[in-house]
Amino acid sequence: MHSRLYKPTLIWLQGVTCNGNTHSFLNLPYLPQLLERFEVLYHPLLPCTQSLAEIARCKRGCNVLVFEGAFDPEMERAGTTLKQLVGHYAGEAGHIIAAGSCASFGGIFKASAPERNSGLAFSGEHPDGPLRGRVGKVINLSGCPVHPEWLGYALMSIADGRPVAVDDLGRPTALYRHMAHDGCLRNEYFEWKVDVEQFGRKEGCLFYEHGCRGPLTHASCNRTLWNGVSSKMRVGTPCFGCTEPDFPRRNLFETKTNMSIPEEVPVGVSKRAYLTMTGIAKSFKIKRLEERLIDDD
Amino acid sequence: MMTRALIEHIEGEASLYFDTRGDKITWAEIAFPHFRGMERMLEGRKATDALVITPRVCGICGHAHLMATVRAIEAAYAEAGYPVELTRKAKSLRELTLVLEMIQNHFKWLYLVIMPELEKLGIEGLAPAPLKGAYAAAQATKILALFAGQWPHSSYMIPGGVTCDPTHLERIQAAGLLDELIAFFEKETAGVDLDTLLTFASCREFNPLQSDFGRLEKGLIAAGMHKKGMAYDRFVVLGEHGFTVRARLKHTRPMKADASQVATEAAVCRDEISHARNVRYGKHFYEVGPLARAIAADNALIKNMHRRYKDSVYTRVMARVYETALLLQRARKLLEHMELSEPSYIPPVALERVTAAGEGIVEAPRGPLIHRMRLVKGVIAEYGIITPTQWNLGSSVMSDPAPAQKAMVGAVDIAEATFIFRSFDVCSVCTTH
Ligand code: SF4
Ligand code: SF4
Repeated sequence: MHSRLYKPTLIWLQGVTCNGNTHSFLNLPYLPQLLERFEVLYHPLLPCTQSLAEIARCKRGCNVLVFEGAFDPEMERAGTTLKQLVGHYAGEAGHIIAAGSCASFGGIFKASAPERNSGLAFSGEHPDGPLRGRVGKVINLSGCPVHPEWLGYALMSIADGRPVAVDDLGRPTALYRHMAHDGCLRNEYFEWKVDVEQFGRKEGCLFYEHGCRGPLTHASCNRTLWNGVSSKMRVGTPCFGCTEPDFPRRNLFETKTNMSIPEEVPVGVSKRAYLTMTGIAKSFKIKRLEERLIDDD
Repeated sequence: MMTRALIEHIEGEASLYFDTRGDKITWAEIAFPHFRGMERMLEGRKATDALVITPRVCGICGHAHLMATVRAIEAAYAEAGYPVELTRKAKSLRELTLVLEMIQNHFKWLYLVIMPELEKLGIEGLAPAPLKGAYAAAQATKILALFAGQWPHSSYMIPGGVTCDPTHLERIQAAGLLDELIAFFEKETAGVDLDTLLTFASCREFNPLQSDFGRLEKGLIAAGMHKKGMAYDRFVVLGEHGFTVRARLKHTRPMKADASQVATEAAVCRDEISHARNVRYGKHFYEVGPLARAIAADNALIKNMHRRYKDSVYTRVMARVYETALLLQRARKLLEHMELSEPSYIPPVALERVTAAGEGIVEAPRGPLIHRMRLVKGVIAEYGIITPTQWNLGSSVMSDPAPAQKAMVGAVDIAEATFIFRSFDVCSVCTTH
């Protein structure tokens, strides 16, 4: 039993954003149960007890601050700058969640205004956002947008009073310890270096020519599927590395290669070992991996 | 005297500035304060990168942006002399996922915005339940994700088709989930089965309905919304899909619609810097969105409402919710007839060969969305986006008001005027991108 008195208060603020994290959050299957665990003072779409104008007066604090979007110090919400708003609520809150890559590292909207916009604690991979140095307090849930289940995990942990361990970039290890590549249905093709012949096929890996960042990206998209059912690679789209501080990169649908070998090799693998392995793997001809899987089409 | 009202619980925020006599609204100006520079960010990038960037213009209609981008790139290919071939499979998958995004939008608007806001006007018995909107929207996007990988922010449409390669397994899964969503809609939203609702031809048929839609209909009448919020009674539909009819209409009289007549100008707001732009067709303002689509498609029920109550808030709101039913039926048909034996993707020539301009037009949840680009050897030299909300929510001068301004003048007070404003389904992030 959770007594109503002990519900942590929550405020969800928006910086420079597309609202994608808000909409991603609404996809959480246990959203009603999660909302029961908090007293939502402000959320841009969900029922809440205060108006934005009241929040902007910065009179009270909150236990949990969720921030979505890039931080632009001069941007105003209801007439109060983000600098003031974040300064006030981040000071009061016990936990701060940066929801999405913009709030974590700057993301898309740092790319649009690099001089002005940043994440909360980081700017790109450098820990020099306005809330720098608050390791452990700022939880970075990068992703463009944040996966609803990642947000669910962080908020439920807070509600339960369970500490959330984070990596060097402030991301919960339970969620970002894996690579996006883990659990991808194309792994067998990856092992035997068989690339997809062209887009629009379920046979083949997307790493060698089609831009996939799965083996270079910390995320659990193929373990905890998107919308409960899918992921980019399951529908033949390459991973764009949206959880990493360098998102959005350039030329997202192609792999930079050197003598037809990807320039970047999977995280933690030595380039030399990788080249040797590739040579061996490629020398096999595996008929099963060269055929279409289903021929009714 | 100008009174300011901050509009929130929309996509982002907006400011309304009212002139009043007594409480009555005599004039209104609209400002959208936030700007993000999406178009400039695209310049210098390879055109296909826009397939990843433009969905991030908007968290609620990113899929429409994706489709506008892919259509613009394909138009540039054609302009350069390399027409892109699309299979029926690719076309129907694109349409299916677009339709599902519209469905989630309309559910959220009904349950998270319109019902609670109507209750705030003092209308009783509505029983608003915002989380129903989140549930239904999540169900719609789950079906979408089976083909597009995820929602929000999928990039599965590419020049030449789609990246996915679904089998009948996904199609059957999707059909099962869609049946569940339709059952929810019938029980909670409509209070009558989908097929029956789609035969409705008069607003009187809503009388016996014990459902959210039925309560909404009665509530709108109780609030006098059938006599409020008329704009120009001129409509435009530009996006071409299986479920739309491209047209420009004066009242219900159709005329030719030609996208080259669409132009923008800076919005006018004397009290605040607004980053919005107004959109006109030729010299005139037009309303866009579900009401425009229903009139263009000659929908019997919405035309009946329009005959009685013109382009009032009532007709506008009912058209949007009713469109949910039309789209659910469309999704069902698309899934039933999904032809999976064709390729998903036919590779076009290398993008580097394309030096040309292209335009992509899509009907987004709120109306026509236009992306225009100019490519030099496949690289973006210029990018322009015109969003549906810029049509409806412009802010102009008193002698020539934009649709939402015209609709708000005459409202009895600010609360009523802001409700009228919301009847257009406001999205600030799209308006200012
Ligand atoms: S498609 Fe990407 S995530 Fe999947 S196996 Fe290949 S590299 Fe890994
Ligand atoms: S697959 Fe890659 S790009 Fe897609 S959501 Fe996961 S981390 Fe982001």
